[in-house]
Amino acid sequence: MFRSAAITCFIAVFIGIILHFIMFKPKFNDVFGKDRTMRILDPFRLVFFFVTLLFIEQKWSLVGALRKLLFLLAMLCFVILVITGFIPMIFYHHLIFGWWLMIHATFAPVFAACIAALAILWADKNRFDKNYWPWLNRALQRQPKSTDEPQEFELELKIIFWLILISSLPMILSAILGTFPFFGTDWNRNLLQIHRYSTLLLSLFAIIYLYLSVLTEMKRTAAKVH
Amino acid sequence: MKNGFRALALVLIVALATVSVIGAQTDPDAKLGDIPDGSRSNFVHLIPLLSEPLPDKEPDQIYPDADPVLPFSTKATCGGNCHSYDQISTGWHFNAVDPNVNPGRKGQPWIYTDHTIATQIPLSHRDWPGTFKPEQIGLTPMRFLDNFGRQMPGGVIGEMVDKSSNPDESLKSEVTGKLEINCLACHSGSPYLDMGGSRGYAIQVIKRNYRWAATAACEFAYVDGTAANLPNDYDFRAPYLPAGSKLKPPVVEYQKEAFGHDDWIKFDIKLEGPKERCYFCHSNIDVNEDGTTEKWFRDEDVHLAAGLKCADCHRNGLDHDIIRGYPGESHNSKNPLTVSSSCEGCHLGKDVNRPVAGRLAAPVPKHFGIPIIHFDKLTCTSCHSGAWPKNQTVATKTARAHALGIAGARKEGDVLPHLLYPVFARGSDGKIGVFKLLWPAYWATMTDENVAPIDIDTVKSAASRVITKNAFSKTRSWPKLSEEDIVKILTNLGSDAAEGTKPVYITGGKLLSLDEGDKIKTEDSKFASAYMWPIAHDVRPAAQSLGIGSCSDCHTTNSGFIFGTVPADSPLKAIADSAVKMIDLQELSKLATKTFAWSFMFRPMFKLVSVLSSVVIIGVLAFYGLKMVGFIAKVVVNKG
Repeated sequence: MFRSAAITCFIAVFIGIILHFIMFKPKFNDVFGKDRTMRILDPFRLVFFFVTLLFIEQKWSLVGALRKLLFLLAMLCFVILVITGFIPMIFYHHLIFGWWLMIHATFAPVFAACIAALAILWADKNRFDKNYWPWLNRALQRQPKSTDEPQEFELELKIIFWLILISSLPMILSAILGTFPFFGTDWNRNLLQIHRYSTLLLSLFAIIYLYLSVLTEMKRTAAKVH
Repeated sequence: MKNGFRALALVLIVALATVSVIGAQTDPDAKLGDIPDGSRSNFVHLIPLLSEPLPDKEPDQIYPDADPVLPFSTKATCGGNCHSYDQISTGWHFNAVDPNVNPGRKGQPWIYTDHTIATQIPLSHRDWPGTFKPEQIGLTPMRFLDNFGRQMPGGVIGEMVDKSSNPDESLKSEVTGKLEINCLACHSGSPYLDMGGSRGYAIQVIKRNYRWAATAACEFAYVDGTAANLPNDYDFRAPYLPAGSKLKPPVVEYQKEAFGHDDWIKFDIKLEGPKERCYFCHSNIDVNEDGTTEKWFRDEDVHLAAGLKCADCHRNGLDHDIIRGYPGESHNSKNPLTVSSSCEGCHLGKDVNRPVAGRLAAPVPKHFGIPIIHFDKLTCTSCHSGAWPKNQTVATKTARAHALGIAGARKEGDVLPHLLYPVFARGSDGKIGVFKLLWPAYWATMTDENVAPIDIDTVKSAASRVITKNAFSKTRSWPKLSEEDIVKILTNLGSDAAEGTKPVYITGGKLLSLDEGDKIKTEDSKFASAYMWPIAHDVRPAAQSLGIGSCSDCHTTNSGFIFGTVPADSPLKAIADSAVKMIDLQELSKLATKTFAWSFMFRPMFKLVSVLSSVVIIGVLAFYGLKMVGFIAKVVVNKG
């Protein structure tokens, strides 16, 4: 059941991203310049370019550097956890054990710590303080806190940030509670299901978040080139 | 005259009973007791004892004052008019020689041991990999019974003595009789059933008094004498021996008080025999460090301690297709209760399409804090059965391997065969379970693709000049054996070996043979693999199961469960000093398993980090959540 659900969701999200990218992608020339022609190393440069787009811009400060590092560490953990968590389930159709489990269990607490730290560092930045819903503000007869115009996909990124945070909670708790002698086999099975589905949700949110972050950066780069 | 009336009355009663039963039942072939009426009360067996019939004759009733006093036949007494003996003979305890019977999961073999030729070899009539057929080492049916009949409930090979390949044995079977199924071995409720005593069943079998064995077991009969040495023309119905003969043929003496009206007997028969009946063949005991086997030192199986009987789980119908109780047995057995009578069947109600968990008051286990991967990778028994794992296996004894419960059984701790346990290894179902292990030791001939044991008479002849009495162990353990001795024995055996074969000695997981320079060559070989069979009993209570302490019961770098060793058992010191690691028997990666065990040192820290992270995330969500609630409240108030 979960295997089918996971495969379906991942495929749906990737198809959605591709369609979205086709609709909203910036023009090649806008990103790379007008006179740019393809060179031999360009495929590698392209990969590198996309990766660097994930280096979300921060102000150069100790906190900013910490945010960057935490974000990158969280991303690394996320990739490892997705691979070690989903591959045995999807491709081999069994629970994770052995090396998969060891790697998974080693990076999981690091990821949890990163999420917690990013929650503290990014929560304030992700408040819905701009005029995201003019119609709602008009209806409530109130002014948003910030008068800055929201950027493209900013609202979506903020919503997804909170969704990631919310889904991370059952994901972490379901994993950790199962290791204490509080629950019997039936509840351990339930906890496993909670862990799986909350992880699936978090993974999908995280993929969409990363995609939108990259797209935003590409658009920002294109705007700079212009 | 008196006897004639009695016989007539008996025939009439049996005929009436048969007619009434046939009238009431749908199966015309069913006998009086084949189809139960459903009452859970105990049916009193007030019956006449019947003797083995002459060919094409009806069996005669036995009278205690007759001359000669005959032993009773279970086939005639129990199987005559009341229970279908032929159908019972198809049961698990009696069908080992039937090639059409699925052997199922590997079980405990018969183990032939002979300390004078440094041999312990697993035998079975069933096709269990790793065992040999008794005839491969020259055991004819009678010789098989000499060794193992003591703890067989009769039937099977016991009724094949007249079909021996040895013509002398076929003739002798007329004197000894056949070892019929001894119904009392399992179904007697009498505390005086003598199975292992000095005049009991086992001793009678050893004396080849097959025809008298079941009678000798009875609380109201006494058998003396020996059939083994009698001439082949001896007739037990007309016992005659030449004057002056010192031979003592078997004679029966019944307690006259046991015979009631019409000289019938009130048998104490239980449909489900008491545990002591099963224990006679199925006892297990660990050998203490001082070599003793004190049973007060060990607890019984928790099921028996809770008041269950063996037959509560190990059930069968008339066909005696008894439930062995292992997972997957339903594929091999026609018994419809196999699924619901395994550990999972009773305790979890697994694989049954209706709720059956909690049968016989079986508690449904909670398994608090045990990750569910354990149930995919381990059998129930690995955590719940046998001794608590130590760094090294311990010696153990079983009734059938060591003749426990029989007068004259060797009580030394190191008497052959040497069984080791608990061995945690991967079973045929892919799960790690707990096993008993035997390192086969035997002399064999090797061809390019196969190893076949040499018959014991040939080995004895080749070894008797090398392993002398001085080398024998007083405790019936391994004899003193050096590599030079093995060279000599292999050379002796080689002189008679067929072309294309060479003699070898299998011991402690190694195959020993002579190289071209007539020196011993020791090598690993699949033919030298240990024979292991999964165990289920004795089951420990939940509070003593693995994991009850913590993960570290198993997941430490020195846990006996994974990193324990199984010493290689051999008369050769060089081999006996080696050992096999359980991790190899579990087919696990050493690096991964060691790393995994090592990672448990950091588990508490990982847990702490995760819990703290959760607290922080809850805090952030609560903080901004409350802010949002405050905002909504403010909007609502302003609106108001």
